[in-house]
Amino acid sequence: MSNKPHVVVIGGGSTGTGIARDLAMRGLEVTLVEQGNLTHGTTGRMHGLLHSGGRYAVADQIAAEECIDENRILRDIASHCVEMTGGLFVKRPEDTEEYFQKKLEGCKECNIPAEVLSAEEAREIEPYLAKDIDKAIKVPDGAIDPFRLCVANAASAEEHGARIETHAPVVDILKEDGEVVGVEVEHETGPGKRVHREPGTREEIRGDYVVNATGAWAGRIGEMAGLEKEIQVRPGKGVMTIMNTRQVDTVVNRCKPKGDADIVVPHETTAILGTTDVEVDDPEDYPEEQWEVDLMIDTLSELVPILKEARTIRSFWGVRPLYEPPDTGTSDSTDITRRYFLLDHEERDNVNGMTSIVGGKFTTYRLMAEEISDHVCEKFGIDAECETDTTPLPGSEDFSVLDNYMEQYGIRSPIGRRSTQRLGSRTDEVLDYDGPNPTVCECEAVTRAEIQDGIEGAGSDLNAVRLRTRGSMGNCQGAFCCHRMAAELYDEYDETIAYDAWDELYQERWKGERHALWGTQLSQAALKYSLHATTMNRDKDAATTDSVVDFAAFDSGTAAGGSGGTTGTAATDGGRREDE
Amino acid sequence: MSDAEQASDFDPTTTVDEFEPVDVFPSSEDMDLRPGADNCYKCTSCDTSCPVAEVDESFPGPKFQGPEQWRLKRGEDVDIDDSILSCSNCMRCDDACPSSVPLSQMHNTARGEYVEEHMDKLSREYLRNRMLSNYRTLASIGSKVPRLANFVMGLGITSVLGEKIMGIPSERDVPEFATETFRQWFKKRGGSKVTNPDKQVAYFHGCYSNYNTVEVGKAMVRVFEEFGYEVLVPKQQCSGTPMFANGMLKDARREAEVNVRELGKAIDNGADVIASCTSCSMALRQEYPELFDIEGIEDLSEHTYEAMEFLRIHEDLEGTIRESEVDPQAFAYHAPCHARNQGLDRQAVELFRELDGAQIEDVGDSCSGISGTYGWKSEKYETSMKIGAEMFDHMEHAEGDVGMTECPTCAMQMNHGTGYEIRHPLELLEEAVAN
Repeated sequence: MSNKPHVVVIGGGSTGTGIARDLAMRGLEVTLVEQGNLTHGTTGRMHGLLHSGGRYAVADQIAAEECIDENRILRDIASHCVEMTGGLFVKRPEDTEEYFQKKLEGCKECNIPAEVLSAEEAREIEPYLAKDIDKAIKVPDGAIDPFRLCVANAASAEEHGARIETHAPVVDILKEDGEVVGVEVEHETGPGKRVHREPGTREEIRGDYVVNATGAWAGRIGEMAGLEKEIQVRPGKGVMTIMNTRQVDTVVNRCKPKGDADIVVPHETTAILGTTDVEVDDPEDYPEEQWEVDLMIDTLSELVPILKEARTIRSFWGVRPLYEPPDTGTSDSTDITRRYFLLDHEERDNVNGMTSIVGGKFTTYRLMAEEISDHVCEKFGIDAECETDTTPLPGSEDFSVLDNYMEQYGIRSPIGRRSTQRLGSRTDEVLDYDGPNPTVCECEAVTRAEIQDGIEGAGSDLNAVRLRTRGSMGNCQGAFCCHRMAAELYDEYDETIAYDAWDELYQERWKGERHALWGTQLSQAALKYSLHATTMNRDKDAATTDSVVDFAAFDSGTAAGGSGGTTGTAATDGGRREDE
Repeated sequence: MSDAEQASDFDPTTTVDEFEPVDVFPSSEDMDLRPGADNCYKCTSCDTSCPVAEVDESFPGPKFQGPEQWRLKRGEDVDIDDSILSCSNCMRCDDACPSSVPLSQMHNTARGEYVEEHMDKLSREYLRNRMLSNYRTLASIGSKVPRLANFVMGLGITSVLGEKIMGIPSERDVPEFATETFRQWFKKRGGSKVTNPDKQVAYFHGCYSNYNTVEVGKAMVRVFEEFGYEVLVPKQQCSGTPMFANGMLKDARREAEVNVRELGKAIDNGADVIASCTSCSMALRQEYPELFDIEGIEDLSEHTYEAMEFLRIHEDLEGTIRESEVDPQAFAYHAPCHARNQGLDRQAVELFRELDGAQIEDVGDSCSGISGTYGWKSEKYETSMKIGAEMFDHMEHAEGDVGMTECPTCAMQMNHGTGYEIRHPLELLEEAVAN
């Protein structure tokens, strides 16, 4: 046992993994526990917008300034997770000139580079913008992949000695003499990488300090810790609708004060429409309603008319972990600040050994992590500099050799491009694969090498492999690759494990697909169903049920040759047999 | 959008009020076809219909070349997989797709981008492809001195050099130039023998009927005159078919501009445009409006017909044929892929089975494999012959020992694979009705 302080971080979202990395880099011993996969909570259910700060430049300038600073840092340290698309705040004739000017002023005050474009100039950048727009402000918004970012943060933390435990929900906060001394977790399938069918175990993880970075779930941890004052997180749900293709290559925002459905973010091969803001009681149980999806498409079509005709592949909902300091009394959840707050429970509740971080937003995760790491270090009198603002994440190290990889691995060029965009500086290590390297997921151009790398990192959990690779996240939603991904688990994992993982992947895909069942995506879902039901018995596999097939109920079939068939019955090709 | 509403099919050539991509995409190479990927639900019908994928395992197929490749693009990405050059542009995938994915448009545009962005303009492949796609220019020079040209092209040494220097397969015989072009013949006979301002057609003879198989052009003129049409032969360039297939979109556009302008004049005077080559009619009808934005291009598309198709619509061709007779002869008929895409694959068989004396047999729905210039490339020759094998086999099993098809390059392939003489349906039609 070393004499380094041991910090337990609860929550495997952007903040939690960011804290784990920061503390581990500063030499502390860190254990991170997460109830699901990394990004299970809000991080995995967001736009993927790397804010320039433009969105907050009028109403929340402190948040705006934090955003632009972090934006610049993330472009650098997380280059393989970021696509600098640029962003537009588009003014339609019905939006006020006054607000447009305020936005422009606000951007300047917050040091956000902003440039006014005429309607023509804006349409030159984004040809599918509505023809009747007035003008736009160009800002350095970007797109960021939250999954990749969290995985990279966790990987970096592990490199610095941290222990990462996913699928390990906290069931209790351990307290001794009124002081928090650790957590008890339930390892759903045992500790370490997730492997299906491993027996669950419980573990008491004792630490010198506990950081609660559970976002919308912070109140629950507070309850377990027996805090007298409730941590009042006010979860606000928002819908995001994923389009099949990128109608825009730039982030497109509506230039008006606030409102639902005012942003389109190009994300990987798709475009994500968002969002709404409705306060909910429970971050895990809230209604997902069709009107919310309809609202996205209808309203955003005013900015990008082709959206009305375009194909939606799924929708998902996320909950913002909004926090309001006590006695602010904001009635409308859209008015709650997007800033973050550090709640030291020693000061706040007289409970030593634990701090919660609440509120905030994805773009400033690193800053939040830095601040709480400073706070923790101070507790232990450790004087270590934060280096997360200058040290690149694994995958973002030397990114200049990207193009050379393309030829080298003999993969189809758009596929090579995609792989290198996802893997960044890890490309060489991952794609240098021994043996044939076919494309497993065609929609997202994911080859076997990447899937195998994902399995290596995530165990038998195909949803975690999905987050790492984007496999099954394209337009067919796994119709052509769920089973291939499951097959990749073999022979490291046996058949029963592969089946369980495969079923889980189906379920997760279906969760979002069911909100897009019209037009071509309905055809797609029907094709997926019939493929998997008829060729792989996945609707009801006799081998997985206890019932015995009554083979006697089938007739004996017709003999080969013309005379054996019964006239008037169906022939094997589905037609009728001719009467003889 | 409610569940009951059906997302409409993507069609980049339509101009609805709020969506006019032609306004903002200055040329086809800049055309954003990503939304076209919305229609694909990946059923793979296109891949199973692709003749190249059937014989070449390394070819990823139209689903990858089209909707998948387009969907994987980001704004500035220029990566086009080099396998796009292995697509023969037979366009069978268009026909196979149950969901209106603009596959051949995606392939043509991607190929254009690939050639523009990635191909070395001094490479043998580029120069050879440029030469093949500009066949008209070559032919117009060759047919100035047809006998000399035919003599030189027939020499063994020419064939060896062609293979070595240009990558033209030595197995193939270069088609002979006619000693008199169709246009020369037409001019010499004093133009159309019929004058009828109410029944005019503008003949798009294309390159091959002009420089090589002039008898097809002559048959067209005589048949249409027999039905009382005044045949106009406007100034014209190559339809662009070989240029699309080789990604030479700038060349194709240059030719299209002339064709749209010149044929447009005839259309303005009330004429329809008639082609005897089904790839030419395909280009004018489908590829032009998909790839170019030229004034009058939609008009040309709507007024273009294949010769026999036009007569079947406007005249009682079947009645006339039923009462006609020809010398006993049997044909092995192959429907070109581009005829299939225009819904014309059965018309010759349906028509000529009513003709006394003629026996006609469809040799099946396989592709001939030559696909214009495709089979004229050394590296594609083997693939081309593998694709054609099924057709050769069926031709040999058919009753007749004369082949028949509308497409000049299918005819070359049929002849090359079986040694049969190949006729155009218009020639038989001429024999039946114009004598």
